[in-house]
Amino acid sequence: MEMIQELRLKREFKKVFNIRVIRGFLSIVMFVVLWQLVVFIKVPYLENLPYPKDVAAGAADAAGSRTYWFGWGISLVRIFVGFIMAQLIGIPLGLAMGISRTFKDFTFPVFEMLRPIPPIAWIPLAILFWPTRELSIYFLVFIGAFFIIVINVIQGVSNISVSLKWAASSLGARPKHIFWRILVPGSLPSIITGMTVGMGVTWNVLIAAEMIAGQGGLGRMTWEAYTNNNIPFIVVGMVSIGVAGYLCSTLVRWLGEKAMPWKKRF
Amino acid sequence: MSRNDGNGVLSKGDFGEVRLEDVTKVYEKADQSQRVLDECTFSVERGKLTVLMGPSGCGKTVLINLVAGYEKPTSGRIFIDGSPVDGPGSDRLVVFQETALFPWMTVYSNVTFGCQVQGVGRGETKERAEHILKKVGLYEFRDKYPSQLSGGMQRRAELARAMINDPKIMILDEPFRGLDAMTRQLMQEFYVGLFEEIGRTNLFVTHEIDEAIFLADRVVILTFQPGKVKAEIEIDLPRPREFHMLASPRFMEIREQVIDLLYEEASKAFAAGSKAAYDLMGAIVARKGACEKCE
Repeated sequence: MEMIQELRLKREFKKVFNIRVIRGFLSIVMFVVLWQLVVFIKVPYLENLPYPKDVAAGAADAAGSRTYWFGWGISLVRIFVGFIMAQLIGIPLGLAMGISRTFKDFTFPVFEMLRPIPPIAWIPLAILFWPTRELSIYFLVFIGAFFIIVINVIQGVSNISVSLKWAASSLGARPKHIFWRILVPGSLPSIITGMTVGMGVTWNVLIAAEMIAGQGGLGRMTWEAYTNNNIPFIVVGMVSIGVAGYLCSTLVRWLGEKAMPWKKRF
Repeated sequence: MSRNDGNGVLSKGDFGEVRLEDVTKVYEKADQSQRVLDECTFSVERGKLTVLMGPSGCGKTVLINLVAGYEKPTSGRIFIDGSPVDGPGSDRLVVFQETALFPWMTVYSNVTFGCQVQGVGRGETKERAEHILKKVGLYEFRDKYPSQLSGGMQRRAELARAMINDPKIMILDEPFRGLDAMTRQLMQEFYVGLFEEIGRTNLFVTHEIDEAIFLADRVVILTFQPGKVKAEIEIDLPRPREFHMLASPRFMEIREQVIDLLYEEASKAFAAGSKAAYDLMGAIVARKGACEKCE
C-alpha cells in the first residue's frame, strides 16, 4: 500500500516537474528578459513601453485597490449574464433546428443572414435599442455567444449517426427517449465546443463594448488608463483581461469534462 | 421455465418467423433508378440461424433495413409471424456493421437501455443485466464506456444489449467485420454457443464463406445487382458446432458448393468494379487454389 502511494507521489512529481514544464517555464522567463532588454536598449517605436518592474508595481497597486476588483466583478457579471442567456436560448433553438426540418426551413435563412455580422457591428444599434447601457452590453455579449452556440448545436445533432437512432428505436425507445438519451448527449460535444469558442468571442465583444459604451469593467479600466496616460496600468489591464478570459475558458472546459465523462480514457 | 434458471433469464423462448414475399426495392435518384432487390422470396425459420450471403453491393444491408422496418419495400411484403412489417419494433433487434453502442453510456447503461425505455422494473433489469453481462464476460467492465473496450468486447456488449430485450428475431449485419482474425474466430464460437443455448430466430449477414457455413442452419445466397435469391442451402453439420469442423469432409463439400454458387455472382461484381467484390474474388481464388493443391 505504502509502495503504491510512493509510486503515485513519484509519478505526480514527474508530471509536475518534467522537462516540458521546465521548458515552458523558461520560455516565460526568456520573454520577460527580452521585454526588459527591449525597453533598456530603447528599440524604436517601443520606447514608451514600461519596464516589467513598473508593471509589477502597477499590478501590486491594483491588487490592493477595491476599484480594480470591482472592475473584475462588473465584467464577469456581464459575461455570465450574456453568455448564459445565449446558452439558454441558443441550445434549445439549435436542437429544434437540428431535429425539425420544417422549423429549420423557416428559421435558418434569417439566422444565416444575421450570423456573418460581426458582434461588434451591433454596438450602435444595441446602444439605441436598449434602455440602459448595462442591458445593451448584456445584449452584445449575448450576440457574441449566441450564433456560435446555435450553429454548433445544429452541427452536433446532424453528426449523430443514424444507426444510433435506429438502434435506440429498435430497442423500444420512443421519441422522448431518443431526444433526451440520444440527441441531447450526442450533441453535447458540439455544445461544449460552441461554448468554448463562444466564451472567447464573448470577451472580445465585452472589451470592445466596455471601451466604447461601458461604465466600469476591465475594458473601461484599461481605456481610462490610456486616457490618463498611465502606461503600466494599461498593461495591467490587458493582462487582467487575458487572465479573466483564460479563467472563463477553463471553467467551460472543466464543465465539459464533468458533463462528458465518456470522453476520458480509462 | 423458472426465472432463476439460466435460460429463463436469457429468454422466454418466444421466437418469431420472418417471411419475405416478392420483396423489391428500387431507389430513385433524379432520373435514374436502381433496382437493388428483385422479388426476393425466402423465409427465416423459427428458432433457426439463417445466413444471408452474397457479394458486396448485392443489397444485403438494404434487405436487413427492410426486415428491421427502417425502410419500406417498393413492392412485395414482409411478414413477421404472419403480420406485415410496419416500421421498427422491439420484436426485432439489429446488431449493426459498425458499432452502435451509445458512446455516452456505460456498458451497463447501454445493455439496460432497452429495459429502461420499456419501463421494466429496476430489480428485474438489474437481475437480467447481471446475468447477461456475466454470460458475455463483461460483468467486470460494466462501468466502462464503449471507447474503453476492445473491438471484440464492444461486439459482445452489443450482443448483450440486443439479447436483454429477448427479441423474437435477432438480425446481425456483418457483426464481426473489422475484428482481427483471432477475435473473429472467438466471437463466432461464442456467438454460435449462445445461439445453440437459446435457440432464437437469427438472421445473420456475412460475405465470409467459412463464417456462413460454420454458423448457419441454412444459407441464402443473393445474386449481384439486383439482389435475387440464387440458392438456399441447408447446412446439415451437427450441432453443437466446433472449430475442428472447419476441416471436416462435409464442411469442405458444402464449401465447394457455396463457392461455386458465389463465384458467378462475385465475378459479375468484379466486372462491375466493386472494391469489396475484388476482395471477395481474391479470397475465392485463393481458397480454390488451396483446395486444388490439397487434392
